[in-house]
Amino acid sequence: MKLSILAGLLAAFMATSVNAQSMFRGNPAHTGVYAGPAPREFHGVKWKFATGNRVISSPVIAGKVLYFGGDDGNVYAVDSETGRQIWKFKTRGPVPATPAVVEGTLYIGSYDGNFYALNSETGAVKWKFATGGERRFEAKGLHGMQPKNQTIADSFDIFLSSPVVVDGAVYFGSGDTNVYALDANSGALRWKFKTGDVVHASPAFVDGVVFVGSWDSYFYAIDAKTGKEKWRFHGGEDPLIHNQVGFQSSPAVVDGVVYTGCRDAQLYALDAATGKEKWKFDNQLSWVITSPAVDAGRVYFATSDSALYHVAEAATGKDLVKEDGRAYMFSSPALAGDTVFLGVLNGTLSARDAATGKVLWEFQTDASKENKGWPLTAEKRLNVPMLYFDNWREAPIVAQDRQLSVGSIFSSPLVANGTVYFGSTDGFVYALD
Amino acid sequence: MRAAMLFFCSFALVCRADEPLAGKWSGKVQVPGRELTLIVDLVRDATDSPGRAQDKQNWIGSATLPGLNIKGAPVTDIAAQNGEIAFVIQAMAGPGVEPPRIKARVVDEKLNGEFLQGGNSAPIVLEKIGPAQVEQPPRNTAIAKEFEGEWRGEYELLGLQRKVTLKLQGHGADAGTAELVIVGRKVNNVPIDRIAQQNEFITMESAAFGMTYEGRLTGNDEIKGQLLQGPLEIALTLRRAK
Repeated sequence: MKLSILAGLLAAFMATSVNAQSMFRGNPAHTGVYAGPAPREFHGVKWKFATGNRVISSPVIAGKVLYFGGDDGNVYAVDSETGRQIWKFKTRGPVPATPAVVEGTLYIGSYDGNFYALNSETGAVKWKFATGGERRFEAKGLHGMQPKNQTIADSFDIFLSSPVVVDGAVYFGSGDTNVYALDANSGALRWKFKTGDVVHASPAFVDGVVFVGSWDSYFYAIDAKTGKEKWRFHGGEDPLIHNQVGFQSSPAVVDGVVYTGCRDAQLYALDAATGKEKWKFDNQLSWVITSPAVDAGRVYFATSDSALYHVAEAATGKDLVKEDGRAYMFSSPALAGDTVFLGVLNGTLSARDAATGKVLWEFQTDASKENKGWPLTAEKRLNVPMLYFDNWREAPIVAQDRQLSVGSIFSSPLVANGTVYFGSTDGFVYALD
Repeated sequence: MRAAMLFFCSFALVCRADEPLAGKWSGKVQVPGRELTLIVDLVRDATDSPGRAQDKQNWIGSATLPGLNIKGAPVTDIAAQNGEIAFVIQAMAGPGVEPPRIKARVVDEKLNGEFLQGGNSAPIVLEKIGPAQVEQPPRNTAIAKEFEGEWRGEYELLGLQRKVTLKLQGHGADAGTAELVIVGRKVNNVPIDRIAQQNEFITMESAAFGMTYEGRLTGNDEIKGQLLQGPLEIALTLRRAK
């Protein structure tokens, strides 16, 4: 009897553990830390699952089921062992967001402007909530594109906000500039908090406070009960070409400190209680889109243009590890045991030693190997001169599509049961072990 | 007269036979999944060393890739011998990416070879479609007295103030020279490759920094203009240092 009680308690604990990992970055604090084991060596592709379009979303797991969104408009449930589709649910827009699965309900937003709650077993709609509508960040002459007086949408505004679900409430950001708090059971609006621009970062939740940045250049701490602002922190501005502005990175909150990247090229450490800057890590004009992983006094993050993988000391921001990542990194590092997994826009997924940052193994998509049209150099770096040679009309967007043709990995890896799961712009979700 | 004509024609034929590489070449770079049109103009530079035997004159050239927004890019490092040629197209360079290099040889009146870029390699086949029309980069000009001297200004970028010092030096009828220093977080000595002055307008370019300054001398000992770097256009007024 005692044994069965123990087994029951253990099962309950495991279920809780699994549920706790069923959202973006593994938990409401967004630490990016996953329970081991993790493959230190690459054995092979366990399975790959074909969707109809790019997969920007990051998979989450609940029980043995993997959930993710697709740019084909579907939300998917797939058997994590076999890659067999269990169900799919069609929205009316791309779904480059990561779902949260809590107590039998899957929560996710779509570019159709709706936020959905689905039965995680069947994919049936429990409720849906209409936001003010989705849109990407936009600005006149964005990134120096021509004509400079024309408003241009940012094709690198690639993610939608992923929800965090805590204590019966679901929190997420929206392209309508609001941060929303909805009742998780009914979808009723609890509050909405208006910022000055698109909110596509994903909120973290710690100790009754919602933490999230906006493209208006501010990072906010919001009282989860009331929706009132506790503090705000001002990041950099770029009135010339709007390139070095906005929080696209999602925060991690650990031991009273908020860690967040920013398009102003800084990684910030802010006091979670006051918003006061503790330190910042300057990345020399290179965006920090990745959401940092934080564990044991170390902060793991990567950059876009400079293509650097860093580990910084959490207390001081001192650079402990700096490694060449070869291409832009938007994917957020996943730490499992002594291994860090990170997707790269050159169509590779790298497994790095957590202590040294050295690459243990690398997986490359077939599209990346083919390198049609040479979006990559032979060293798998972005072949910028073959891509971004024109800033007129839709050339930069065509260039980005060419860049993404190599199976870029924006998706943040999930590590569960010794397997690494992630999506790719080649339209597949991969399971590697 | 007939004899002179005959001599002239035979000389021209000999020249053509000696210079199978000279001309306007057009064809395809067979990049997998993205064929690129390439046009290369190659010719001996008769103006570089007047009086020098033609086969001792240096090669010059320019290249056009319409699919990559490249028109008349300088062709450099030209090595030609026995119907074989290698050269570099001064374009398509970027972070960690060298400009493309071409190695080719004339076979059956076609230029067959290899296009190497970013460590990738693709075959090329070019056909001669006419005489060369090489686009030469604009030459530096002399600088008028009123531009000479030291100029100072400043501008703000991404919340950081930058101080600019420009020293312009004339050399009579020869091309002028410029020293440009921009101090922000660090001191940047910006090498100026090209300087051109026409009336009250002056233009300076730095290939290393991808930077251009276009200014206009006003009556108040000021050069009002714009600093252009990549997508950035920043107003910059330089005032004569006292």
